[in-house]
Amino acid sequence: MDFENKRIPDERFDALRPEVLGAWPTGREVDFDEGVAFHHALPEDKRFPVALDRADAERRVLLQPRAGVALLEEHIALLQLLAQEADVLPTTIDAYTRQNRYEEAQKGIDKSRQAGHSLLNGFPAVNHGLGACREIIERVPKPVQVRHGTPDARLLAELTLAAGFTSYEGGGISYNIPYTKKVPLQKSIEDWQYVDRLVGRYEAAGVRINREPFGPLSGTLVPPFMSHAIAIIEGLLALEQGVRSLTLGYGQAGNLMQDVAAIHSLRQLARQWFEAEGYGDYQLSTVFHQWMGGFPENESKAFAVITWGGAVAALAGATKVIVKTPHEASGIPTGEANLQGVMATSQITSMLVDQQASLVALVQPEIERIKREVNTVLRAVKTAGEGDWAKGAVRAFAAGILDVPFAPSVHNKGKLLPVRDNEGAIRLFDFGAVPLDMDTRAFHAAKVKERAIAEGREPCFQMVIDDIYSISKGRLVGRPR
Amino acid sequence: MSTHTIVLGVIGADCHAVGNKILEAFFTRAGYRVVNLGVMVSQDEFIDAAIETGAAAILVSSLYGHGEIDCAGLRDRCLERGLDRILLYVGGNLVVGKADLAATREKFLAMGYDRVFPPSVELDEVAVLLRQDLAAKDEGR
Repeated sequence: MDFENKRIPDERFDALRPEVLGAWPTGREVDFDEGVAFHHALPEDKRFPVALDRADAERRVLLQPRAGVALLEEHIALLQLLAQEADVLPTTIDAYTRQNRYEEAQKGIDKSRQAGHSLLNGFPAVNHGLGACREIIERVPKPVQVRHGTPDARLLAELTLAAGFTSYEGGGISYNIPYTKKVPLQKSIEDWQYVDRLVGRYEAAGVRINREPFGPLSGTLVPPFMSHAIAIIEGLLALEQGVRSLTLGYGQAGNLMQDVAAIHSLRQLARQWFEAEGYGDYQLSTVFHQWMGGFPENESKAFAVITWGGAVAALAGATKVIVKTPHEASGIPTGEANLQGVMATSQITSMLVDQQASLVALVQPEIERIKREVNTVLRAVKTAGEGDWAKGAVRAFAAGILDVPFAPSVHNKGKLLPVRDNEGAIRLFDFGAVPLDMDTRAFHAAKVKERAIAEGREPCFQMVIDDIYSISKGRLVGRPR
Repeated sequence: MSTHTIVLGVIGADCHAVGNKILEAFFTRAGYRVVNLGVMVSQDEFIDAAIETGAAAILVSSLYGHGEIDCAGLRDRCLERGLDRILLYVGGNLVVGKADLAATREKFLAMGYDRVFPPSVELDEVAVLLRQDLAAKDEGR
C-alpha cells in the first residue's frame, strides 16, 4: 500500500494484526470484541472523553499527574493515592517498553521485585499483559490514559485499549522526533495510523477513545507555532483513521501572554484546519503542560513553577493540565510528592478559572501572530506533500519546514534555533529552513535584538543555553551572570 | 597540552537530548575532540567509539532513572575489550526517584566509574576535574 493519509482498509488492517499481536506473548490475550463489551459496561465516570466534555462545559480544568512504576500492586496503589486529588489519571509507560525492548523491561520487573522498589521509570504494560491492565481500570475510580513516548505503539495500544483504557497519548511525529534517534518518520506515522485506525474501530463499535498528540515535543523552547502545526497535522491524520475525540497539547513557554495566546490559537486553528480538510463531528479539547524544561532543585521553588503553570492553564482556559512535582529536578517522584503537585495546582486553578475572559483581548495580537505562522507552515507542508498530509509531514521534516529545537532524531534538521525575548516569550534566533514570511522574520529579529541590547551582548548560542537553564536557576530569561 | 578525544552519549533507552547537545558544545569549546554518540547508546557503542577514536575518556549520561540497570558492567566490558586505562565519568538522574546523592555516588563508584555527577553540576567544575584526571593519567603512562 502507498504511504498516504488514507484510512487503512479493513483487509489491510486485519492482515497487519497477527504480526502486531505476535510481537510478545501477551499479545495473544487481546480480544477486540471482549474489549468492546468491557468498555460498554464501564461507568461514565471512568470514561476519558466524558470527563473532557464535562470539564469544557463546566469551564473547569482537569488535573492529571504522570505516574507509573514497575509492579502492578504498587502501580494501582499509586493511582489510588493520586485519585484523591487528580481528576483523570495516567499510566506512564517505562522507557524500555517505549522502544519495544520487552526483554529488558522484564529484567527491570525482576530486579524491581528483588530490590523491593521500582527500578523502572514507568509501568511495563505489555509485559504485565491484559489481565493486569484490566485490573488497573477496575480498581482505579477515574478515567485512565496511557502516556508514553513509543514510536511503534501498536501492541501497547491493542493491549491497553482492549483492557479498558479510554485515552491514548502520542502520534507518529510527536512520539518519534523527540523520543528516538533513528526511526524513520514514515515508519512511525504508519504505525500510528494503525493505532488511530484501531481507535476508529472502537469508535465504530460505539466506544469512544480519546487521542492526545504529545504537544510539548522536546520540551525545550519550542515556539508555539511549531508545536501547533505538528499537533494539527497529527489531528488530521487521526481524524482520517476515524478518531473522534482529540485533545491537542501545548507545553508552557513561560511568558503569560504567549502561553494564553497559544491555547486560544490552538483551538481556533485546529477547528479551522479540520473544517477546511472536510472533518466535522469530532470532540476537541486542549491540554496545557506545566513547564517541561529543567526545574529548580529546591522544592519550594519547584512549587512556584508548578503553580505558575496551573495559573496559566486556568487563565488560558485549557481543558486539562499535566502536573509536575516538587521532585522534578531529581527525576521520578514519590507518590506523596506527586500528590503535592496536584494539590498545589488544584488550589490555583480553581482560584483563577473564572478570570479568563479579561485576558483574551490583551493577547489578541499574539494570537494573530501565532495563527499567521502556523498557517504559513501548514500551507508549506501541504504543498510539500502535494496535498497529502502524511507525505507532507515526512518531506517537510526532510526539508526543514518542520523543525523541532533540541530533538534527538536524526530525521530532524535541528536548524531552527529559538531564544527568549526581553519579556521571556519564545522567539526565533535562527529560522533554519522554516518558510516564514518577511514581516514575521522582521518581528522576531526585532524582539531578539531588543533583548540583546538590554543585555549588552550579541544574540548568540550562549544566550540560548542560558535560557534552557534559566528556570532551574530561578529566572525566566537567561540573563548574563 | 595534547588534544584528548572524549566520547559522549546518553546510555540505554534514554532519549534526553538537550543536555547532551550542550555538553558537546561545551567540551568542544573547551578544546577537546568530541565524539558525540547522541542519545540511546549501548555500552558496546560507547566502547566501539572509544577504541576507534583512541578516546581518553567516556562521559556517560543518564537522565531517565534506568541508570542503575544500564550503567552496570561498563567498566568490566571496557577491560574485556582492552580499554584498561580509560576514564569513565557518569552523570545525571542516575536512579529512580529522589535519592541521597552520596549513596548514589558510592553505588556508581563501586561500579567502576571514576567520577559521578548530579544533574545540577556546573560544567566548569567537571572541566577542571577532567583536566586533572587526564593529566594524572598521562603522567602515569
